[in-house]
Amino acid sequence: MVDFRLDAVINGRKVSRPAKPSQRLLDFIRDDLNLTGNKEGCGAGECGTCSVFVDGVLMKSCLLPVAKAQGARIDTVESLAKTGELSVLQKAFHKAGASQCGYCIPGMVMAATAALRINPFADREEIKERLGGNICRCTGYQKIFDAVELARDVQNGRLPASALLEEDYTDGDFIGKNVRRLDAPSKVSGKLKYAGDMTMPGMLHVQVLRSPHAHARIVSIDTSAAEAMEGVEGVITCADVPGEDGFGVFVNDQPIMARGKVRYVGEAIAAVAAEDLVTARRALAAIKVEYEALPAVFDAFEAMQPGAPVLHDYAPDNLTKHIPIRVGDVEKGFAESDLVIEETYSTQAIEHAYLEPEAGLAYVDHDGVVTVLSPSQNITHHRHMLARIIAKPISKVRFIMSPVGGGFGGKEDMIYQGMLALLAMKTDRPVRLVFTREESIVSTAKRHPSRTTLRMGLTRDGRIKALQMKMVCDGGAYGLSTEGVMRKAAILGAGPYAIPNVQVDTYGIYTNNTPSGAFRSFGALQTQFATESHLDMAAERLGLDPFEIRRINAMQDGGFTHTKQKLGKVSLTKGLDALEKACGWEAGPPEQRGATRKDLGRADTRPPVALGARFEAPGKQEAAE
Amino acid sequence: MARKRGRGMAACWYGIARTATVDRAAAWAEIDDGGSAKIVTGVTEIGEGILTVLAQIAAHEMGVKPEHVVIGDNDTARSPEAAHAGATRQTYMIGNAVALASREARKRLVDVMADVWDVEADAIRTGNGEIWAENTNHRITMGEAVHCAKGKGVVPVGSASFGTDTTGLAPTDGAGRPWQAYVFGAQVAEVEVDTVTGEVQVLGIWAAHDVGRAVNPQGVEGQIEGGVVQALGQGLMEDYKLDQGHTSTHGFAKYILPTSLDVPRVNSIIVEERDPIGPLGVKGIGEPAMVPTIPAIMNAIYDAVGVRITALPATPEKVLMAIREKERRDAAMAQAAE
Repeated sequence: MVDFRLDAVINGRKVSRPAKPSQRLLDFIRDDLNLTGNKEGCGAGECGTCSVFVDGVLMKSCLLPVAKAQGARIDTVESLAKTGELSVLQKAFHKAGASQCGYCIPGMVMAATAALRINPFADREEIKERLGGNICRCTGYQKIFDAVELARDVQNGRLPASALLEEDYTDGDFIGKNVRRLDAPSKVSGKLKYAGDMTMPGMLHVQVLRSPHAHARIVSIDTSAAEAMEGVEGVITCADVPGEDGFGVFVNDQPIMARGKVRYVGEAIAAVAAEDLVTARRALAAIKVEYEALPAVFDAFEAMQPGAPVLHDYAPDNLTKHIPIRVGDVEKGFAESDLVIEETYSTQAIEHAYLEPEAGLAYVDHDGVVTVLSPSQNITHHRHMLARIIAKPISKVRFIMSPVGGGFGGKEDMIYQGMLALLAMKTDRPVRLVFTREESIVSTAKRHPSRTTLRMGLTRDGRIKALQMKMVCDGGAYGLSTEGVMRKAAILGAGPYAIPNVQVDTYGIYTNNTPSGAFRSFGALQTQFATESHLDMAAERLGLDPFEIRRINAMQDGGFTHTKQKLGKVSLTKGLDALEKACGWEAGPPEQRGATRKDLGRADTRPPVALGARFEAPGKQEAAE
Repeated sequence: MARKRGRGMAACWYGIARTATVDRAAAWAEIDDGGSAKIVTGVTEIGEGILTVLAQIAAHEMGVKPEHVVIGDNDTARSPEAAHAGATRQTYMIGNAVALASREARKRLVDVMADVWDVEADAIRTGNGEIWAENTNHRITMGEAVHCAKGKGVVPVGSASFGTDTTGLAPTDGAGRPWQAYVFGAQVAEVEVDTVTGEVQVLGIWAAHDVGRAVNPQGVEGQIEGGVVQALGQGLMEDYKLDQGHTSTHGFAKYILPTSLDVPRVNSIIVEERDPIGPLGVKGIGEPAMVPTIPAIMNAIYDAVGVRITALPATPEKVLMAIREKERRDAAMAQAAE
């Protein structure tokens, strides 16, 4: 391909540099110019973290070949606070608490800047629509809308500039105050470096070969052709693990790279460190793996049947964990009930979808300390596990937690840090791995899909006499946090209610699906969805208000939990009272009252979206610009 | 009317910190040269705002300003172990450890100044970067006090480990003490269901959650708003799909997430029932914020159109199918009644 030179004005400076015409503008900005403020979240134009201005127009730089920027004026997030002082909008993000993990924020700030340039008087609904191409996984967007409205009002002079400042907390009492986030300036300006933004001199790029099979025996792995390639500095497989292989949270059942067989599509088999990404990817293609397909199982109930394919020798029945809870005698409780309701609930696997895909660097320092820097949610545990896996004392293993661009439980597993450590040891050079979005989705843990059968018996006055619950979860190919998820699901499943007879069983099952793991609300979300849906069904049948049936059954101060623990103060009734008042709840049984309710559409709701309806005719919009 | 509205509610409870095992977190604190404060602990920010919370706690306990607190963290070779960033444990575990360590550091400094000024330690106050003795003319900056302490061979440092008094579960009946702090909450959802397309829009959420004691109310709201929207995603649209172990949802074009147009107005009601065990009274909010949202939405859908969705997510296709089925059922019942 003909060499190409990009001439452009980037953040107000003339740039004239060779580039590959096929290179993405995002990579040119981040890798060649080291302007890492704008991030890559998906590489497909779907998340907006890479948003920049091209000749003043908001564009997703992951979709633009650099050649398209020839002669253009490009502005990245770094252009907004060039002198070090944050823009009005960035200050508003700081004041409103609009950044959490911060990874989407540079793109969000760019999109919001564009929104107010197009219409300085945009109302909240228009702001929402103009931010529709930017995903945030942490904030729920509300504080972002608040920030943009605050910036709009300050820019328009409706509010003084002092509205952007922190309130004065000089009384020395800082607890209970909205102290502005200390990390927000670094996030709104794009200055904060996540692992994928960091480089080291002599750094190699890592790529991972992943299984295309859900369940297969590995007959052979031949890495010789890959190792012979120019620019390839190291190739590793499970044969390179010097210590006792195996990581996990409760059971160390997962090898750093597949050992003997693969158990899910996307499982790591080998990894390459090379001088550049393209060479590393070519080397992956040169690794020859011979598989022998094994029967696979993709359903938790099928996996529980005798004769089902077995994933792990230690668990011949594919059971990862069963947690039982027993109080009283449920059959007696059902016999004493006036109403017994049974229903089955199911929940699906979901992806954490943190905007920052997994990334990490590793190096062996001058004292021989194997150091891994990554957005890990559990560096303490990872350090202990890695020391065992690489057969080094704990003092020779160091984990550094880089800024986490969203975790939600998904970054608790040591899914790739082991490979980085091994490659740093093998090549004696710093190595870096940055997952693509697809790789992140395919290879990392999900929320446990579940099926819960719930039977509840109540007396006519609404008291729950018995609750029987059985939940079966698909834990996927490896244990990860399954045991803990089953435990929390079981302990909390019957809800915050005083129930004399309780029987709960939760089962985590191995299958050849993507592993399930830790996810914010950790099993409690699945079981309480069942219990809380069920209570409304009971309330309807008994003619009780949903608040009332919960008050009738609420655990009380000094009462006992389903694990027979004595409680102190129980704030449930206090919360129910506060909630009922705040939302102006119209009391009554939940019997499809929507059509006649008087408490709907209050000022503290939003209007429904009618897509596109609010945009003015094109001519009028241009006039506003 | 093609669009029907309704409301539903649900309650929840949750345990704070690691489950059915002893949880522990350590922190070091120092009142440093110039009167700034230094906190070192093994785990912090994953976006929830804990850095700011710890700075507020340290500033409050030691008498400096939050912006003068330096937090060194996240490095197993440089900081004391504090376990993981999860389990709704950070404010509770790390926050309480930082409070205890800060109190010890402050005590070291106060004891020196009590000696120097010849006053009772109880009479000494700190705040906003100053240290003074009540009812005297003694008042100096924290920086001056640190200089004075170091001159006497004392470094105003403190360390603490905050741990929980918890047990595992009995293997037969699950009896045990999995947590020492529990939180309770409840939410109301208001929805609009389009009976032509099956689309559900959540227009409002009211969320009341006990957090023990809110260190930073804006941060608590942020956790509630974010949790509600993640739950909305699972309730209405997100679905990681597999066929024979291969996913068909490998990007955000296929794996649908809530955007700015999907989110309700979230109204947070912060309930404070202080934890009697920890030194601060704080509990947590990260995970419980998500728990009641989905059943509240499903109960609201029932209120609006009379169909109960028991298999998530409540996609337009699924809701529409349920509405059609209900119409058929209602018609058959009406016919049978005739």
